[in-house]
Amino acid sequence: MSAIQSAGERELAELIVTALNLEGVAPADIEPEAALFKTGLGLDSIDALELALEISKRYGFQLRSDDENNLRIFRSLRSLAAHIERHRTT
Amino acid sequence: MLTRLPLFAPALAARPIAWRDGREIQLGEFALDVAAVASTLPARSAMLNLCEDRYRFLAAYAAALSVGHAALLPPTRTEQVLKEIEAAHPGSYRWDDAVVDAALSASQAAAATDLEIAAEQIATIGFTSGSTGRPQSYSKDWRSVNGSSACNARAIRAALDVADDAAVWILATVPPQHTYGMEFSVLLPLIAGMAVHAARPLFPADVAGALNELPTPRVLVSTPVHLRALVESPQPFPQVALTVSATAPLDRALAREVEAKLGGRLLEIFGSTETCAFASRRTAQDELWKLHDGVRLESTAEGTLVAAPWNRQPILLQDHVELHGTGEFRVQGRNADLIEVAGKRASLADLTRRVLAIDGVQDAVVFQPGAEAVATIRRLAALVVAPGRSVEQIHEQLAASVDPAFLPRPLLLVDALPRNELGKLPRAALLAALVNPNFQG
Repeated sequence: MSAIQSAGERELAELIVTALNLEGVAPADIEPEAALFKTGLGLDSIDALELALEISKRYGFQLRSDDENNLRIFRSLRSLAAHIERHRTT
Repeated sequence: MLTRLPLFAPALAARPIAWRDGREIQLGEFALDVAAVASTLPARSAMLNLCEDRYRFLAAYAAALSVGHAALLPPTRTEQVLKEIEAAHPGSYRWDDAVVDAALSASQAAAATDLEIAAEQIATIGFTSGSTGRPQSYSKDWRSVNGSSACNARAIRAALDVADDAAVWILATVPPQHTYGMEFSVLLPLIAGMAVHAARPLFPADVAGALNELPTPRVLVSTPVHLRALVESPQPFPQVALTVSATAPLDRALAREVEAKLGGRLLEIFGSTETCAFASRRTAQDELWKLHDGVRLESTAEGTLVAAPWNRQPILLQDHVELHGTGEFRVQGRNADLIEVAGKRASLADLTRRVLAIDGVQDAVVFQPGAEAVATIRRLAALVVAPGRSVEQIHEQLAASVDPAFLPRPLLLVDALPRNELGKLPRAALLAALVNPNFQG
């Protein structure tokens, strides 16, 4: 039922579900292209802060938002995973 | 004869008012932008200023004031809330980053910096955020806005120990549309000689990057939820001269960690949408709040009457305070937080503090769901963040200091409280969390 997640997307999906304790959401069911915020998983900016903290611990880099929309890289699992792949140090 | 007060204070063309795109913007240049935006405004009466960029917000706000329009400050910018505000304010219009940007690119030959606004003109219409019930609107005229801003500016300059005409650089993590963001990131630059960074950074690295750009002394205007993220992040930060916190209570331990990590003092602000900020304290070491100049409090059965020189009449706040002399007070709990169970009284704020004091508890809220949400009338509920601790352990420790009538049931362990972007806990989100504790909307 869900589109195929890459290995990196799957690992990130698990981190999201664990970090934000999204009970009732199976990591494998998060659609790679679906919205994480507002609609979709319905996360908010405080979740983004929480997630950024977990990502800095797991992947060894600090998230930054260089554009006006603080949440652009959080648009979907796929965009966030791609961002992490470009910037991870661990 | 009508009193008029300056739109820009001090009205010196060469004083900095903002930092944008890597450079300082002086009042003279800003006034050109304000004139450019003002020339494009519709013939209506109140602006719904939706600008995300703080510089554009500032320019649009000043432009609206200069043509006699009030600023509506929506509590959230969801379509439904905006429509409700528009329905209640016929004459209102939406203005956002794109339309301001289009106006800014139009060139202006010259603009005055000595504009004046009628003291009686409605400047801002704010709304309570909904944590205390239905959203309600509060209008403030230009005189009132000037009075409260002067007090906020004095409190900041005193904490920084700088002169009235010294430059002060502000970076804010809060939206300009919120009363607190309006007071500390829009009005201080406009009428109290300070300057503000155009950004609204979210992530710790963004905050550090924006702070690094600013000249000193730097002031970080933020909230407990943002400050906690900064403290927990491995990100190094440039030192700030002062951190300002408001919107939710900040505990002393976090206040100390913030001071240790960012340098400079942490000044916690006490206020409300109705009154504006009217007191402050250095939370790392003070328990008593210090009133702004000229503010007087009076305790009543219903709460506390706040008499501020900038308000025409005293305003009743639902908080109970204990006065210490004429200039200081201690908060005893919000009136709405005072609850009665079986003839006994307790304060939700106090109960929450007791849960927070338990070893291993990181965050918590005790609240009253009401009869419609749970079967038992007047039974309290709690959401607690305490990794590694069990409900039984927390209940047992709480029972040591709390009357059984006030022990929360259910007490649910959650991974995080359903805080909104300002760190507040809207009642609807708390009720939703009771039904589905770990799915936050």
